[in-house]
Amino acid sequence: MEGATLKAITMMGIALPTMFFVIAIFMAATKLLHKAFPAGEEDEE
Amino acid sequence: MESLLLQYPWLDELLMGFIGLSWKHVVMWAIGALLIYLAVKKDYEPALLLPIGFGALLANIPHSSAISQVVGEEGFLWVLYKAGIANELFPVLIFIAIGAMCDFTPLIRRPIVMLFAAAAQFGIFATVIFATLMGFSFEHAASIGIIGAADGPTTIYVASRFAQDLLGPLSVAAYSYMSLVPVIQPPVIKALTTESERKIKMGYSDEEPVSQTTKFLFPIMVVLISGIVAPISVALIGSLMFGNLLKVSGVVDNLSNCAQNELANLVTLLLGITIGGTMAADTFLTTQVGMIMVLGAVAFVFDTAGGVLFAKLLNMFSASKINPMIGACGISAFPMSGRVIAKMALKEDPTNFIIQHAIGVNVAGQVASVVAGGLVLALIPALTK
Repeated sequence: MEGATLKAITMMGIALPTMFFVIAIFMAATKLLHKAFPAGEEDEE
Repeated sequence: MESLLLQYPWLDELLMGFIGLSWKHVVMWAIGALLIYLAVKKDYEPALLLPIGFGALLANIPHSSAISQVVGEEGFLWVLYKAGIANELFPVLIFIAIGAMCDFTPLIRRPIVMLFAAAAQFGIFATVIFATLMGFSFEHAASIGIIGAADGPTTIYVASRFAQDLLGPLSVAAYSYMSLVPVIQPPVIKALTTESERKIKMGYSDEEPVSQTTKFLFPIMVVLISGIVAPISVALIGSLMFGNLLKVSGVVDNLSNCAQNELANLVTLLLGITIGGTMAADTFLTTQVGMIMVLGAVAFVFDTAGGVLFAKLLNMFSASKINPMIGACGISAFPMSGRVIAKMALKEDPTNFIIQHAIGVNVAGQVASVVAGGLVLALIPALTK
């Protein structure tokens, strides 16, 4: 296999799981944020 | 002719435009004209394709002073290129404008939609592999793959670092395919879903309103997390979130409006014509560029498939079913993709309104595409060491 293709496969192998990991952190942090500061009556939607 | 020029040397100066003209220039005029036609008649990303098309005309007039690189006589397109693209300034400014236009409320309400956005970045990495198999170097292949981010500024940002010679075709491919989302996505979605899946209705019952404090802290949180994971992405995600902070802070409405209007319009104008200026015939009319156009389509198809298939996968484990079409909105082409999918749902069932869910996933796609861009920026140098 060509070196460039091997690097491309390695990139996918690293980037996709990292992507989901980062997104999972975003999700958890967003949920926490949403919970920590619930909307009051004065907050407009 | 040559003897005539020898006899009258001033003729060379006078006729240089005619003498330098080749069939390649004429073909590029046709391509420029096609882009202008698509912008004016078909309304395909007119704010970008019109300046790009005209820039291509300027760049393909023999000895054009607009793209002159002669020291002391630099053309304005070359000056703009050095001032705004080579140093990545224009894409970053555009991100401030996009951030000021984005409303992350649907994403904050349902953070799970970010998963679809992550899955819809699959096309980027699949395309990188295809591009290397077609003979592109790893750096060029990665820059081609990022077309799948469906995000013009990210494409330009990555290309200006790792594939400057391909900047013109990469930008044209990114913006062309973004405008072709209504043509590319529906057949892919239909091929991967059943009619009953496309008719799945999604409720809004469990959604709570979002406080101003949460909206205000969200962009700061995103910058801190993504910056720590991929510091190289801070310029992109930082400018996107800065724009959003201007909007949600509520105290600088004039700056927010400026970012959404004056800044967005001015930089789009300069960005478009500068990219057009990079489309000189010698660098554009190559088989490489033809392959880039094909690979751009591949990236969008695989992005769409990644999002839809991931939603179908979640449906296998979830009690409340998700309409798998919204997975396709995880690409960043905002808000076109969200609207296209919402329209598709209405076509399948006129009582099925999924626009809010679709737009939520689409906004998440905006964030995910920048994160993907940051990872690509970090991994290219790491893997080429």
